[in-house]
Amino acid sequence: MKITILNGSPKPEKSASEGMANALRERIERTAARTEQTEQTEQTEQTEQPDVTICHAAKQRHAEIVDILAGSDVLVLIFPLYVDGIPSHLLRLLDENQEAISEAASGATVYAVVNNGFYEAGQNNNAIEIIRNFSEKTGLQWGQALGIGAGGMVGVAPIGRGPMKNLGKALDQLTDRILHRKTDPDQLIEPNFPKFLYYKAAHIGFRQNARKHGLKVKQLYDRP
Amino acid sequence: MTNRLIVHDIADKAEAGALAEIFAGDTVFSATPAVHHCVGCFGCWLKTPGRCVLKDRGSDFAAMTAAHEEIVIVSRLVFGGVSPDIKAVFDRSIGYVLPFFYKVSGETHHAKRYDRSPGFRYIFYGEDMTDREKQTAKKLAAANMLNLGGVAHEVEFCESPQDCLDLLAARRD
Ligand SMILES: Cc1cc2nc3c(=O)[nH]c(=O)nc-3n(C[C@H](O)[C@H](O)[C@H](O)COP(=O)(O)O)c2cc1C
Repeated sequence: MKITILNGSPKPEKSASEGMANALRERIERTAARTEQTEQTEQTEQTEQPDVTICHAAKQRHAEIVDILAGSDVLVLIFPLYVDGIPSHLLRLLDENQEAISEAASGATVYAVVNNGFYEAGQNNNAIEIIRNFSEKTGLQWGQALGIGAGGMVGVAPIGRGPMKNLGKALDQLTDRILHRKTDPDQLIEPNFPKFLYYKAAHIGFRQNARKHGLKVKQLYDRP
Repeated sequence: MTNRLIVHDIADKAEAGALAEIFAGDTVFSATPAVHHCVGCFGCWLKTPGRCVLKDRGSDFAAMTAAHEEIVIVSRLVFGGVSPDIKAVFDRSIGYVLPFFYKVSGETHHAKRYDRSPGFRYIFYGEDMTDREKQTAKKLAAANMLNLGGVAHEVEFCESPQDCLDLLAARRD
């Protein structure tokens, strides 16, 4: 089974999308290895260890990504919500290479993991629809989307623990779905952490960051 | 007369010229060739507030938006949203709002940087739009309105750039 994960955050590194892409790959490989073991002891046929590749839509060229996509059974798009939609560079990749993708990954099942800055995971719904429309127009199979609220928390705590417990569980379930290429209704996930504290921490962060850049907090309100 | 900002992705020279003629006296911003895409650094909030730190003609679209009463968006409909060229301009313009959050009926949005709020008019074109894509576009425009603090919005669909021009020419006031 060939699985391609496409990281659609334009950040070169340390994005929430990257954190989730790595966590998902690790879960897929671990789960598949475990399944293989059980099947061996029961002396059934050996399952193949899935081949999981992570691409970066802003760092790699379109042609390179389309090549990697060739023969994929599953395509997982992991990206941040940008202006209620999908980041422009990812949109460009999907738009300009629609035909090439439909040929390279024909019949693949599409999953999406969209994270946003606001706490409410439901604000990812429009971006999820855009990916669904892409999937439909490109003739791919729709799998499922996860909308992840308060994406700023990813990376603050390990996925699966404390405030990131819900996210860990959601990625575990997604892993199972991907390995069986199952379709399910979309799922919205918010952290195990109060909304008001998330915002409070963000506001403190903005002010600290401004000072780090040599700005007074007042200047954050400038009107060029 | 309403002062307008028109942002479009029409690449054809003659059609783009015709659009500029319809809106003579207004500000016309061409999203083609594409501006650089947002790199996700938040510099427009925390380094050079209100302005994108990348240097090209996409850097000041937020301030341009704030200086107009009506924003007209002419875009190819792509999977139910704006085209990559238009989206590149929008992604570079989140400095239009402040980083700070506030709640409107239980949902969070950003506080406004500017007092004035323009109206937004979306004109999408494309030949094989599905009903689902049109639904997405309407929801997206409404969400943008909430997040950018616009006062009103309108969404229309055309088959081609030429149809957009006809529609706009007929409705020019
Ligand atoms: C240009 C831009 C637009 C954004 N638009 C939204 C938005 O509409 N709604 C939202 O909740 N968050 C928005 N965000 C916040 C990001 O979705 C959030 O920071 C996310 O966690 C980034 O994920 P990443 O680290 O994987 O890139 C935006 C961020 C940027 C840079």
